[in-house]
Amino acid sequence: MNLLLKLIVFIVPTIFLLLFFMILTNEDTYPGADYDQFQIPEFELKVLDNTMTVNNDLLNGDYVLNVWASWCITCIIEHPYLTSLSKNGIPVIGLNYKDEQEDAIIWLKKYGNPYQTILHDYKGNLALDLGVTGAPETFLISDGKVVAHYQGEVNDQIWNDVFLPIIKDKKMF
Amino acid sequence: MIIEISHFLSVLATGLFLLVGYFSILTPSSNSSYISNLIVRTYSHGFFFLLSSFLIYVWLAITDNFSVQYIANHSNTALPIFYKISSIWSAHEGSMFLWIVFLSLWGFLFNIRVKNNEVLKPKTMGVISFILVGFLIFLLATSNPFETILPIPPLNGADINPVLQDPALAIHPPTLYLGYVGFVIPFASAIAFLLYGDSKINWEALVKTWSVSAWVFLTVGITLGSWWAYYELGWGGYWFWDPVENVALMPWLAATAFIHSLGVSIKSSQLRIWTILLSILVFSLSLFGAFIVRSGIIDSVHAFANDPDRGIYLLGFIGLIVFTSVFLFILRLSSIQSLSRIKKFSKQSFISINNILFGALIFSVMLGVTYPLIYEFLFDQKISVGAPFYNAIFIPIVVLAAIFLFFSVDSKWSRSINFKFISAPISFSILLSLAFTIFVMQYFESQSISILASIFAGSLIVFRYIYEIINFIFSKKFINPFSVIAHMSLGLLLISISFNSLLSTERALSINLNTTESYKDLKISFKDIGVENNANYDSIKATFLVEDQTGRTFNLKPEKRKYFTRGQITTETAIHITFLRDIYITIGDQLDDGSWIVNIQINYLIRWIWLSALLMGLAGVILVFSNRVKT
Repeated sequence: MNLLLKLIVFIVPTIFLLLFFMILTNEDTYPGADYDQFQIPEFELKVLDNTMTVNNDLLNGDYVLNVWASWCITCIIEHPYLTSLSKNGIPVIGLNYKDEQEDAIIWLKKYGNPYQTILHDYKGNLALDLGVTGAPETFLISDGKVVAHYQGEVNDQIWNDVFLPIIKDKKMF
Repeated sequence: MIIEISHFLSVLATGLFLLVGYFSILTPSSNSSYISNLIVRTYSHGFFFLLSSFLIYVWLAITDNFSVQYIANHSNTALPIFYKISSIWSAHEGSMFLWIVFLSLWGFLFNIRVKNNEVLKPKTMGVISFILVGFLIFLLATSNPFETILPIPPLNGADINPVLQDPALAIHPPTLYLGYVGFVIPFASAIAFLLYGDSKINWEALVKTWSVSAWVFLTVGITLGSWWAYYELGWGGYWFWDPVENVALMPWLAATAFIHSLGVSIKSSQLRIWTILLSILVFSLSLFGAFIVRSGIIDSVHAFANDPDRGIYLLGFIGLIVFTSVFLFILRLSSIQSLSRIKKFSKQSFISINNILFGALIFSVMLGVTYPLIYEFLFDQKISVGAPFYNAIFIPIVVLAAIFLFFSVDSKWSRSINFKFISAPISFSILLSLAFTIFVMQYFESQSISILASIFAGSLIVFRYIYEIINFIFSKKFINPFSVIAHMSLGLLLISISFNSLLSTERALSINLNTTESYKDLKISFKDIGVENNANYDSIKATFLVEDQTGRTFNLKPEKRKYFTRGQITTETAIHITFLRDIYITIGDQLDDGSWIVNIQINYLIRWIWLSALLMGLAGVILVFSNRVKT
């Protein structure tokens, strides 16, 4: 009876703890990341300075799509990392999300512009179709297809853990 | 500068708590009066440093210091002071900070209330301090709320999540946290008791008031959360078996079993193994709740977005606490076993049966929470465990527990109940409950066995205690006031929940402006809809004139809001509250033909559910303040 009790109080928590450890260290369950693949929905958006209209066909190849806004504090924190990505030759395209054009342009002047192109999604339609819940969020896109999505600030750790394995796997960039 | 001072005070507190832990557990003579005085004082200093650090942090939030990244991310100059303060616990880092401050507060109160010559006190303070150190390192290393944005702080913050701008939410998390972490006192004392290994020490009496106080906070905290989800999130019910509701329910169930078991151990030093195991279980489940919410392992309203290191750290720390406790428990098992056997039909026997039933409930909820995670991990498919699973398990077990409770009323410590003596009250309540249940069955044409059984079980308890109260008034028979209030509220809770699921209905209507639709006994006229502009949101506000069968009319004005800073859309429900029912309206989208989708719910006795839960809490308050129990 005593032995049984000792075994139970030892084994039950061990099972639960081991299980949670396995779930946590499982790569697929990185919080904020998901790897559902889907085609980018059709869209037509003006770029931020209104000089041209961009649609699906104009954006091809591999690139990083970063959702940002001037009202987003975390975007300021994320900004230097995006700049370094851009300097290392990775094409970063901005999706300016639910933001006033003026505010966004002032923001870029203040902090610098790491983006090749910036789409101005004032109503958040494209963002909605992509499954964006806020800013910042970042998508990895390969030939018109979303292959990875991360909610929150991208930094060195997130880049290495969430995006780099996919980039290597698909031989992108 | 002031940010660094606040940060530094937290670090300093960590150091002092580490010293307390070292003095009390790792030095051999922790009971010498010199060392125990040192422990008491060092702990108090640590607490004051931590408290000052937190108060400075509150000040930073009030004064909109957006150099602090966390405050910049979660507060805003436009917020009223009340929400500037509550923005501190609106996300992970700040709420963890508050959680730790509360943990140290319980320790501090224990430190000043319990006399220094209490043999278990030094080691109890030591255990609390080690737990504090573990969580402070977690806070400072993985979720630092003092992180700054320098050199250019933003001019304004990102604003608190709009669904959190609500008075109920400002007090729901702190109340719940006070409940969760309050169980550190019985846990730490149990560990101190096991460290001593002297079975003559009565650690149970030391912690009774503390445990009941923590239980009250947990009860009230859960009730507030349930109420908030009902009207602010627009969930429209009182309980959804959401994973995070479940991780609060588990410690509550364990704590309820624990305080009953504690009563037995104090009276007769029986069930000590149960009591110690339950004290470990309650605190572990509280920590498990923190882990589930903060590791990002589940998606829920309550989940904080975060990184996996936090999950690993928390899991490791919880593992350390659990295995240390289990190891000590196994080591001392033989010396704490009670030699006397429990008599059949004594109060102890009923409580131990209900301990087993509560254990079964906790295990089922644990299974419900973890099974989808395990399944997804193994088979990469999402499944959900919902209300049908929990109902199937909870209803029979709770009804069974209620019946055991019914028979335990007026049972005696260490003596079998005399069935002859109590047969009058038992048959009185059984007859009345049967009559009531049959009436419900006939009048509402209900066939549902689970509802009828719950109504029967609930009314058994209520009638049984009414009999006791009558007895008390007319023949001055002794009754235990908190037991009567707590258990009658349980009966009322069962009855309210049953009627709620028996009678409540909901329907989605599409309705045009200036037309009238009828639903059940209600006539609903759509009078007006318009856009209102506010400081930080735009809203679509509708006005409905509702008439019920008695001819009374009232206006209901549900809203949909769009907040500027995050573009978030929230639903504001409109609720008309009467004695027996709520009429609850939310407004949805406009259809192409110009009509609007409106969801109408009639929720019966839903206020009674929260009332019963609060009454249960009140019983605990009475117990804490009554003179019968002294610390």
